[in-house]
Amino acid sequence: MDSASVTAFFQTLAQGLLTGGLYALIGTGLSLIFGVMKVINFAHGDFLAIGMFITLALFKAFNIDPYLSLLVVAPAGFALGFLIQRFVLARLGDRLGEGSMLATLGLGLIVSNTLLLTFGAQPQSINVPYATTTFQFAGVQISIPLLVAGLGTLVAIVGLNLLLYRTELGRAIRATAQNPLGAELQGVKTTQIQAIVFGLGVAFAAIAGVLLMPLLYTFPTVGENYTTKAFIVTVLGGLGNLPGAVAGGLVLGVIESLGAFYISNNYRDAYGLIAFLLVLLLRPEGLFGKTVKRV
Amino acid sequence: MTAVATLPRPRALTFGNLWLSGALLVVMALYPFVFGKAMNFGVSTLIFAGLAMSWNILGGWAGQTSLGHAALLGIGAYTMTLLATPERLPAFLPSPLAPWWGALIGMVLAVALAAVWGGLTFRLRGSYFTLSTIAVALVLRLVAINSEWTGSSEGLFMPELPTLFGLDLFDRKVEYGLAFGFVLLTLVITHLIRRSRLGYGLQAVREDEDGARALGIDPTRMKLIAFMISAALTALGGSIYAIYLQAFEPHTLLELPISVQIALMAIIGGRTSIQGPLIGALLLSIFGEVFRTVFSNANLLIYGVLILVVTIYAPNGLMGLFRRGGLKLGVNR
Repeated sequence: MDSASVTAFFQTLAQGLLTGGLYALIGTGLSLIFGVMKVINFAHGDFLAIGMFITLALFKAFNIDPYLSLLVVAPAGFALGFLIQRFVLARLGDRLGEGSMLATLGLGLIVSNTLLLTFGAQPQSINVPYATTTFQFAGVQISIPLLVAGLGTLVAIVGLNLLLYRTELGRAIRATAQNPLGAELQGVKTTQIQAIVFGLGVAFAAIAGVLLMPLLYTFPTVGENYTTKAFIVTVLGGLGNLPGAVAGGLVLGVIESLGAFYISNNYRDAYGLIAFLLVLLLRPEGLFGKTVKRV
Repeated sequence: MTAVATLPRPRALTFGNLWLSGALLVVMALYPFVFGKAMNFGVSTLIFAGLAMSWNILGGWAGQTSLGHAALLGIGAYTMTLLATPERLPAFLPSPLAPWWGALIGMVLAVALAAVWGGLTFRLRGSYFTLSTIAVALVLRLVAINSEWTGSSEGLFMPELPTLFGLDLFDRKVEYGLAFGFVLLTLVITHLIRRSRLGYGLQAVREDEDGARALGIDPTRMKLIAFMISAALTALGGSIYAIYLQAFEPHTLLELPISVQIALMAIIGGRTSIQGPLIGALLLSIFGEVFRTVFSNANLLIYGVLILVVTIYAPNGLMGLFRRGGLKLGVNR
């Protein structure tokens, strides 16, 4: 290999890893929700779309920098998720498993169609000066917003781990995930915990939306694509497996980038789907699960 | 296996049950004479009603929620159209095939796909199957978008078609007849399945897979048969839909929202009953049409609201509500 093709390889790899970081953030939210509540959230991408559109609206109305809107989007996402668990999912009772799929499908339709009514169907984007700036490292060009997104993902995931493993709330969340009844008997208010978990999951999706906004244009049904990506990430990593979700995100990003560069860009979305199907069929516990820990 | 004891006891098909199906069919048969000016609405509604009932053979009777039926719909539509278009014929075919042969081949292909897909995924339980259905449909969509042969993202135009018993297939009244026949066929098959060994086996598998296995039922085989029947009917619906549309693109046939729409019609109507999907499709089409004038293209909003309300308050769909409300239309009686 000559040096140009080596650089091209590392360029593609870096691109893939950074995009994969974002996928990891999206997948972590989905996986957290599944891990604790056994709910597959079909509206996950639509919550990401909410994050994008709040960012867009704040920028258009008050010229607020996209990254600054995190201060609004993250709490708003948390509150939305909390309320959805309280007023929708909690009402499903022992039908949560089968009912949640339909309920979240319904929520997704409500979100995307409300966005359509409010913002129209045209793709829109934010024009910030740093959108197209890049940064050189050993001959590899890296887009600044993508780098910020990667760092943001890192902060969010480290934060989540600190919460889960260093706090009393985290202990309660892990207890609820392992054995809801047992946790309840120990005085954990599991419905409260589930609301917090759903809130965190939605907040993660919405944060990912903010980080994507300077990079992409948005439209009301943009979430559909990201719901699929989130499913791919969680299945690659193993449903409900948080470190797996991070690894799954990175793997998906790299597969897409390398496939797009070396095979065909037209099938960019297909590589992940095929990997997803293969893992589903051959290793349903995920690429990184040690044993079959069927949830 | 306690759940076996709670299985609904097998009940004989009664007058009431057939009466409801018959009444719905009469209403549908009279539609062209009353609303002759709104034939587009009539044809598309009937096609989706048939698709919802086809979906329900797998989704309701076998309890396997598919969100990828758009793939099977697409196979029916694409196969029929490609085989009827002279310039798109595969090399081994000397002349274009009449649409009914194309539809039949589409059904065979859909059954083959279902056999492989189900054979691989029915080993897995619950949500894994649903997730796989999304992926399969999306892969097919990408192939359709990126292949020259399938007309890429511009899609296909319907060629001149031979007449069927002297009838022009592009006449809306003839298409209504085809769609009506499709609904009739799915309804008859569903009625037949309900009374058969297959029907009881499927319900047993749906309620308690391990219990069913203990009774000597092979759950994977049951689900597979249901999937193949469902796939064949869905592909047939796809062919009729293609004739109705006359031109289509991957976007109109292979997207996730199409799969979701078909599934939601069946679920909102009631997936454990025979007529539920039919009633769900009729109601949602009417709602969709009414709300299209209010919300233009955001009319799926009403689907979202309805599915939330139904999931929370009526887990067995509208038919479940009727049943519970003492309005016993002979369902499950």
